[in-house]
Amino acid sequence: MAMNDPLRREEKKDPTPNKKDTGPSSPSVERPGRDDILKRMKRVDPKQSENYKQRTGQ
Amino acid sequence: MSATIPLLGIETEYGIIRDEVDNYDVVEESMRLVRRCEMKSEFGNWAYSRERSHQDMRGFNVRSLAQDEEEDAFCVEDRKRPYSYWEMKSDRVLENGARFYNDHTHPEYSTPECSSVFQLVAHDLAGERIVFECARLRNQDDEPGRVCIFKNNTDYIGHSYGTHDNYLISRRLPFENWVERLVPFLVTRQLYAGAGKVGSELRNDHSFSGLQLAQRSDFIETVLSIETMTQRPIINTRDEPHATQDKYRRLHLILGDANMSPYATALKVGTTRLILTLIGEDKLKLPVTLENPVEDIKAISHDLTGTIALKRTNGKTITSLEIQEFYLEIADKNLSGQCKESDWIIREWARTLDELKHYPEKLADRIDWAIKKDIFTRFIESEGVSWDDPWIKSLDLEYHNIDPERGLYRGLEQTGDLYSMFSKDEVQQAIKQPPEDTRALVRGLAVKHGTNKIKNIHWTGIEFTDGAFIDLSQTITSADLEHLINSKKEQYPWL
Repeated sequence: MAMNDPLRREEKKDPTPNKKDTGPSSPSVERPGRDDILKRMKRVDPKQSENYKQRTGQ
Repeated sequence: MSATIPLLGIETEYGIIRDEVDNYDVVEESMRLVRRCEMKSEFGNWAYSRERSHQDMRGFNVRSLAQDEEEDAFCVEDRKRPYSYWEMKSDRVLENGARFYNDHTHPEYSTPECSSVFQLVAHDLAGERIVFECARLRNQDDEPGRVCIFKNNTDYIGHSYGTHDNYLISRRLPFENWVERLVPFLVTRQLYAGAGKVGSELRNDHSFSGLQLAQRSDFIETVLSIETMTQRPIINTRDEPHATQDKYRRLHLILGDANMSPYATALKVGTTRLILTLIGEDKLKLPVTLENPVEDIKAISHDLTGTIALKRTNGKTITSLEIQEFYLEIADKNLSGQCKESDWIIREWARTLDELKHYPEKLADRIDWAIKKDIFTRFIESEGVSWDDPWIKSLDLEYHNIDPERGLYRGLEQTGDLYSMFSKDEVQQAIKQPPEDTRALVRGLAVKHGTNKIKNIHWTGIEFTDGAFIDLSQTITSADLEHLINSKKEQYPWL
């Protein structure tokens, strides 16, 4: 299977900063989808982790 | 493709519960989940006789592998079950060349052997989808509650289960050479490979609260050990290459986390492969030596900035970020321009370290712990709770739920603001088809076409009911594969 899709997708992305050119710039970190996930988070049972018990694996 | 490190694989043990039911049996649940798989597969014929898990890289054998007292007690009860240990295992080999079975109490998916990092990440995702499909089928059965599956490594009260990354390396170099050059890299790769964990599971230190980088770091107790269930090491010394013994070793790393983010998996495996390539080609001088790497791995996990000072054996100190930059510089100098995949890994490695240093909030589209930090912080501000509230730990667990209707990572995927690696079609392809350029192709085709003719099957070979045997232990490169297929095509027309 020729899995080169990440590279193809990479070509479409905004150019990533050159590691030798790391001067200051304003980070763009707006994430509108995060508001939607808040609704899903509120539905999580607050006690879920306390009830979660597993046996030791490797 | 790296000729120096020709094969890669990931084994993932999943957490499993039956929600809304008290006193369910986790062994039964794990066993029944694997047995519910409807994919074309060879069932119950894994060749355990070909396993050699007691040989140590340091040149000795151990009589048995250890587990803690609690697990000893569980095993006493397990022996009273009305089925054998082997029936409990419920081994499957799938038509994509993967192994899927019940590893004691956890459904485990071991990818087929892959030759490239992107191929491996696609197969890791394929495993996640296969395991979820089994859970979906189990939830159609007329039983109370609901099976939920978690791709994580802890239950937050001290029980850990593993995600192991594997690399075929040369036996030419002494094992010590690999160890001394790898350890500083491995203890610091959690800066981007850590899946994030709320709270601490250190036995003697309950002072930490909040988010740490990695799930597994609290459980690392020594530098080298053959053990996997207790005394877990930075480098596992099990000497079981699943290939020609005199030519190869399999580096079996058990310190890593299960990443929900395929980008993080790619960076974890990709950077590790680059470092192994440098070592295998004698291009990596002895790096910094840490005074106490076992303590360091925990301290690094508790520092989200990568700036904690780590003691070196020469009396100086160095930060985890500086160690990663040291390795990156050598990889960039020696391996850039060799192939597109390596270039992607080097470029993304550099970008990630740079953003961790200057704009860590930017990592929240692709690095698991940073995504958690972003969404949990938003939740804490929205709900007025603290990091110590049990609700946050429950959110941490739900991040790893692989159900697209419930899991937090799976939910974020649907919003489109995470770094995307593969299309649905590409993952679907990995569910059905083995890699075309590794020995997994022969295994997958044998499963697809050899129904009722396979006596037993393993990473290293396939024995048929007529006594014939296909030896895969020497099929390492694509040229080896081509040679094997040409030599066996007449006998096995499905090849």
